[in-house]
Amino acid sequence: MWKVYDPMSVTVGNESVRTETVLGSIDTAVHPTFTSDAELRQYLPRAYRDRPFPNSLRYLYSPPTGVAPYGSYSAEARQAAGTPGSDPELAAEHLAAYGSDEAILLPLARGVLPNLDLGTEICKAINTWLAERWLSAATEVRYHGSIRLNPLDVEGSITELERWAGDDRMVQVSVPLEAHLPYGHRVYHRLWEAVAASGLPVAVRNDGYSGASFHPTPSGFPRHYAEFAALQQNNYIYHLTSLVAEGVFERLPALRWVFTDGGFDVMLPLMWRMDMDWPITRVETPWVPHLPSEYLRRHVRFVTSPFEGPPDDIVDEWSGIWDAGSLLMYGSAYPMWMSTGARDILPAALAEVRDRVLRGTAEEFFALRPRS
Amino acid sequence: MSEQKRTFVCHVDDLPPGTMKFLPVGKQGIGVYNVKGDFYALSNYCPHRGAPLCLGPVSGEVRPGDEPYELTWERDQEIVRCPWHGWEFEIATGNALALKNHKARSWPVTVEDGSVYVEGV
Ligand code: FES
Repeated sequence: MWKVYDPMSVTVGNESVRTETVLGSIDTAVHPTFTSDAELRQYLPRAYRDRPFPNSLRYLYSPPTGVAPYGSYSAEARQAAGTPGSDPELAAEHLAAYGSDEAILLPLARGVLPNLDLGTEICKAINTWLAERWLSAATEVRYHGSIRLNPLDVEGSITELERWAGDDRMVQVSVPLEAHLPYGHRVYHRLWEAVAASGLPVAVRNDGYSGASFHPTPSGFPRHYAEFAALQQNNYIYHLTSLVAEGVFERLPALRWVFTDGGFDVMLPLMWRMDMDWPITRVETPWVPHLPSEYLRRHVRFVTSPFEGPPDDIVDEWSGIWDAGSLLMYGSAYPMWMSTGARDILPAALAEVRDRVLRGTAEEFFALRPRS
Repeated sequence: MSEQKRTFVCHVDDLPPGTMKFLPVGKQGIGVYNVKGDFYALSNYCPHRGAPLCLGPVSGEVRPGDEPYELTWERDQEIVRCPWHGWEFEIATGNALALKNHKARSWPVTVEDGSVYVEGV
C-alpha cells in the first residue's frame, strides 16, 4: 500500500529571501493525450472497442486560441504528428524547460458517461495506457500517475483502485469536476472510504464537455469561451462545501482532495461565507465540529492552473491571508493552451513561500520519495 | 470580611426546574435558570450581535449518533438558544456550542434559607 500522508509533518522554512530559481519544481498537473482516439481504443476490451463515445476535445466553449480546430492545446505543444501532448519524450523536454524535474500526469477522461459500464472501461483503459506508455518511459522528467475512476460506478471504481494497489507510480486517483451529485453525498461514501484507506488523494479535473454535461453555470449557458473559462472553475466549490457539510472529512480523516483546475483565487471568500453561517446551522450538521475553513489545511490543496494571483506589491500579504504556502501547488496544465511555466508563478513571493508552492507542498502531499 | 454584593432573585419554589427568572439589573439584565435543580445566571446579552439572549428558548443539544447521519437529542434543558440567529449556549457555563472562545457572561448563584441570590451584582 501507499505511504499515508501525515499533515503534522508539514514544515515551513524561515529563509526570507526572494529567488529566481525554479529548477527542481514539481509539476502537479500535466495532461497527457492520446496520439489519436485509435490509441485509446486499443486498450479497451474487444466488446467495447467499436462503441461510439465522445472524444476529449471540447466542442462547446472551445478556446479561440491554441492549435486548431478546437484550440484547447498550446501552440508550443504542437507535434509533427499526433495530438499535442501525446509524446512522453517531447512533453518531458517541455516540462524540463518549464523548470520541473517531476510531473504528475492526469489524463483527461470522458467526463460522466450515461453508460456507466462504458465509462468505467474507458477509465481502466486510460490507466493501463498511462502505466505502459508514460510511466514506463525513460524520460528526463520523472513521471507519476493518476488512477482515473468513474464516480458513477462505485463498485467498479473500488475494483479498479485495487488493481493498482502497491504500484507506487500512481500517486493520486482522479474524478471529473462534473458529477451527478456533489462529491460529499453519501452515494460515494464507500468509494472515498477505499481511497482514504489507500492513502492517495483525490484529484478533481474538468473533463471539459466530453461526457454528459450540465449547465456550465447554475444560471444557464454563457455565450463565450471567456465567460465559460472564468466561471466553470467555480464548480469545485460545490464539491468542497458538500465534502465539509456531509462530514466526509470527519468520518475519513485520511481523505484528501486536490482541485487541479483553478479556483484558488476565489476559494477564501467562499469559505468565509460558509464559516459565517456555521454557528447558526450547527444543528443541521452536528457531525461537523469545526469551522469549514479549518478543514482546508489538513484535507485540501489547489493547483495553480489556471491562477490569477496577486499583484507583486501585495504578494506577501496575500500569501499570508490565502495560506498559499500550505494550500497551493504548481501545475502547468501542459499541453493545454493556458500552460504556465514555474517561472511565472508568484515571481515576487518570498522564497520560503515560492519553494513550497513549486515543490515542498507537493512533495509532502503526494508523499513523493526524494530524488535519488 | 467585606460583604459580597448579591441580589435577591426569588424564593426557590418560584423557580422550578426548566424555568428562568429575569432580573432587571445592570445594562442588559440577567436571566436566572434552574437546570434540573442547579441554578445559573447568564447575561441577557448574546455575544454574537447583542440579542436579548434570555428571551430564547431553553433547549437541548443535537449531536451526531454512531451511524453516519444519525442525530440524537442530548442535554435536554441545559442549552439556551439565542432568539436572533440561533447560536446555542450551555447555560451552566455560558459557552457557545459551535464556537470555542465565545461565551455569554455568567454569574454564580447561591441558595440560602430558601432564597435564590445572584452573586456579584
Ligand atoms: S445575536 Fe445571538 S445569535 Fe446572533
